[in-house]
Amino acid sequence: MQTRERMNKRVTNAIALSVIWLAAIATVAALGTILVYVFVNGIGQITPSFIFTWPHGVNMEGGIWPTIQATIYVTGLSMLITTPIAVLAAVYLAEYAVQGRLVSTIRFAADSLASVPSIVMGLFGLAAFVEGMGMRLSVLAAALALSFLLLPIIVRTTEESIRAVPKYIRWGSYGLGASKWQTVSRIVLPSAMPRITTGVILAAGRAMGETAVVIYTMGTMINAPVSPLDPGRTMPVHLMLMAQEGINMPGAYGTALLLVLMVLGFNLTARYIGRRNRRMQG
Amino acid sequence: MRLSRSAALVAVAVTLVLAGCGRSASGSQTSLTVTGSTTVMPIAEVAATEFEAANPGKRVLVSGIGSSAGIEAVTKGTCDIGTSSRDLKPEEKSLGLVDIKIALDAIAVIVNPSNPVTGLTKAQVSDIFQGKIKNWKEVGGPDLEIGLVNRDEASGTREAFSKFVLGTADFDPAAAVLPGTGQVRSVVAQASGAIGYISLGFVDPSVKALAIDGIPANETTVGNGTYPLSRYLHFLTKGEPTGLAKAYIDFVLSPKIQESVVRDAGFLPVTEGGK
Amino acid sequence: MSDSHDPRTGEPIPEMCTDPKSAENAPRPPARQALMTISKATYFKEAALKNLFLVCACVAVAGVALIFLFVGLEGWPIFAKVGVFNFLGGLKWYPTKQFFGILTLIVNSMLAMIGALAIGGPLAVGTAVFLSEVASPRMREIVRPAVELLAGIPSVVYGFFGLVMLRPIVAHLFGGLGFGLFTVWMILAVMIVPTIATLTEDALRSVPDGIREASYAMGATKWQTIWRVLLPAAKIGIIDAIILGMGRAIGETMAVVMVAGNARVIPDGIFKPFLTLTTVIVLDMPYAAGDHRTALFGVAIVLFIISMIFVAAIRVISRFGKGMS
Repeated sequence: MQTRERMNKRVTNAIALSVIWLAAIATVAALGTILVYVFVNGIGQITPSFIFTWPHGVNMEGGIWPTIQATIYVTGLSMLITTPIAVLAAVYLAEYAVQGRLVSTIRFAADSLASVPSIVMGLFGLAAFVEGMGMRLSVLAAALALSFLLLPIIVRTTEESIRAVPKYIRWGSYGLGASKWQTVSRIVLPSAMPRITTGVILAAGRAMGETAVVIYTMGTMINAPVSPLDPGRTMPVHLMLMAQEGINMPGAYGTALLLVLMVLGFNLTARYIGRRNRRMQG
Repeated sequence: MRLSRSAALVAVAVTLVLAGCGRSASGSQTSLTVTGSTTVMPIAEVAATEFEAANPGKRVLVSGIGSSAGIEAVTKGTCDIGTSSRDLKPEEKSLGLVDIKIALDAIAVIVNPSNPVTGLTKAQVSDIFQGKIKNWKEVGGPDLEIGLVNRDEASGTREAFSKFVLGTADFDPAAAVLPGTGQVRSVVAQASGAIGYISLGFVDPSVKALAIDGIPANETTVGNGTYPLSRYLHFLTKGEPTGLAKAYIDFVLSPKIQESVVRDAGFLPVTEGGK
Repeated sequence: MSDSHDPRTGEPIPEMCTDPKSAENAPRPPARQALMTISKATYFKEAALKNLFLVCACVAVAGVALIFLFVGLEGWPIFAKVGVFNFLGGLKWYPTKQFFGILTLIVNSMLAMIGALAIGGPLAVGTAVFLSEVASPRMREIVRPAVELLAGIPSVVYGFFGLVMLRPIVAHLFGGLGFGLFTVWMILAVMIVPTIATLTEDALRSVPDGIREASYAMGATKWQTIWRVLLPAAKIGIIDAIILGMGRAIGETMAVVMVAGNARVIPDGIFKPFLTLTTVIVLDMPYAAGDHRTALFGVAIVLFIISMIFVAAIRVISRFGKGMS
């Protein structure tokens, strides 16, 4: 009797573990399929002329340079707007906040912002910035809308980075008579900086891939924006339009591959910084 | 130390914003915005490139979202020239727009090349797209479910098709709605039971164009007016076109562009039409 | 809800000390002593800075309020005109004929979400269990980055992939056009795996090792330990993860619009085209005017409220769970 039970539980164990292995393999396979497919179909398109020339002609043949510019511009501007606010907000939550109604509300609001569907954020940007504040379709309107989307992400990562700074460092600082702000600004933040940077880079990668937010706030016009009030078309929007039109598929593949490479580049850089930092800290 | 760094960032951001506020809006005499139908966009864009090459310093910005959007934009003044692949609706005729025909187009009903059906009557097409006929065997084809492919409501092609074929009836709401010509074409090319409609100019060997009421879809039949599903493509301006807009429109209507760009995009020069 | 991942996509925030109390435990100079030991100028400066940071933190609250305000302002006329019940409960979405009922869309969104969860949930939990309990460190080095990269891929690329690779395969294998619930489920499932997996893994990791050791000591196999001890122990975290995955699935637009087929009916099969709350906005917005446009903003409000309900549900469940344990 006991032997049979032991057999059963071993068999179940073996089956269950294989299923678990399958799940992990399926996940990796899904990633691999997508990356390989985009890579194989798009690699033929990635030439210097594709990257650096403008699209022309009926079906956006040629290059995608203005979309690359627009993507970098709006991502950079939105990071510029969000990061200071998010870092300071995280400082508040990590260092100054006392558990209470206000902090609870702030956290609930941050979580809600993080869960907003991006198309709702896009319509918000349209109603508030493009029309409400009269910015018209512009990099600025898109950057502002993106900032709200990225805020909770950076607040979260920064707060964790700050909390990760060991207590004894603060004790040392207070022990020497430093004020709270002196401690935070000269000791805690610099120490947390690598991890904060990692979080910021990851958020930037997220911003780069956003479509729904950008299409309603920045428009679809092919343009290399110079001032923040210029409209433009970013790479994800370009990809969506080309895929929908369906006529210039090689161009769509090329855009997809370039976009994926840029986003993955950001992700891998962030991981590299994170890992190097961890290694240094032992 | 941290404060001054943040302050510097803020200063940079403010400068950028202020620099932007000093720019004048587009639409002045050196640039032109053209927006509207995605069907007309190919002509407008290639013509724009050639126009800019011939007139250095002038820019023509072309975009396409849909005929209705183009009409609304030119009426509101957010663009200089609106393009449309459908005629103005009765309620749009009183908006003060000047309607200039620039090309002739036909709508082809396409099926998968493996489908043995070669032609349908207009009534059959209408019934299929209303969802009344659901299987190819009802119209002389194999026992295969019909995969109905429709265009999105912003599409001028859909408007025109609806007017020609359905009249006042509605499309089958269960039909797939695709937002681009190329998508319709590639879906029909890959699904054996599919049927859809695209501009004749975009038909290529991956799909098969059906004859309607016995008339095949080709340039001759469209030119002499026998093919039933044809339409004009329009440029629209608020009031008579002047200045840069007039120069551009005249350029597009010139025989050189009509014979090259318009034909290359798969349409017929506007002079060919007998209607 | 674990603290070390972006709650929306599951993108990881790099591993850090997960003790959430380190800052709060740091002893602070008692207030009265602070007044005696620092100058008035410093005191005011500190207070001003603290308030500045508070204002920054409240930007989040302001954001939520603003979204409600602006989207609500644009959208409420449709509720006034058609009535909340007709809007939410009407089956016909025919804006050109003044029919503004979004019940079909709500049902379709739910169908898409449930299917995606049914496929992606087990896949994600399985992957998380793998990472936390089964994998060797070398395997972990391969699979965890894979999950993180999966989280980073933009949704438009997912949609593009679904459109050009998955749809033709589905059409070839199952007939029809290849659009529909089946294709959407496949794509959405893969998209929510990172969200659910990373949070589940966190939840599993925070179960103390002692519990595992006790289970093995009693002779349980690995699977018995996982199934009967660890997963129940991590139940709250896993439920949180699943709700977040649900939120992501229902809010996804770009990936869905390219493979759903966009027909404004409740599909009568899993290979028939359908329209959801999110895809209706992206499809109709380019040309919507007047009441139609207002109605789309109304749909946006509904989406926003749904996502906030999910967030609130997570809070309630977490609080309830903490009370229990």
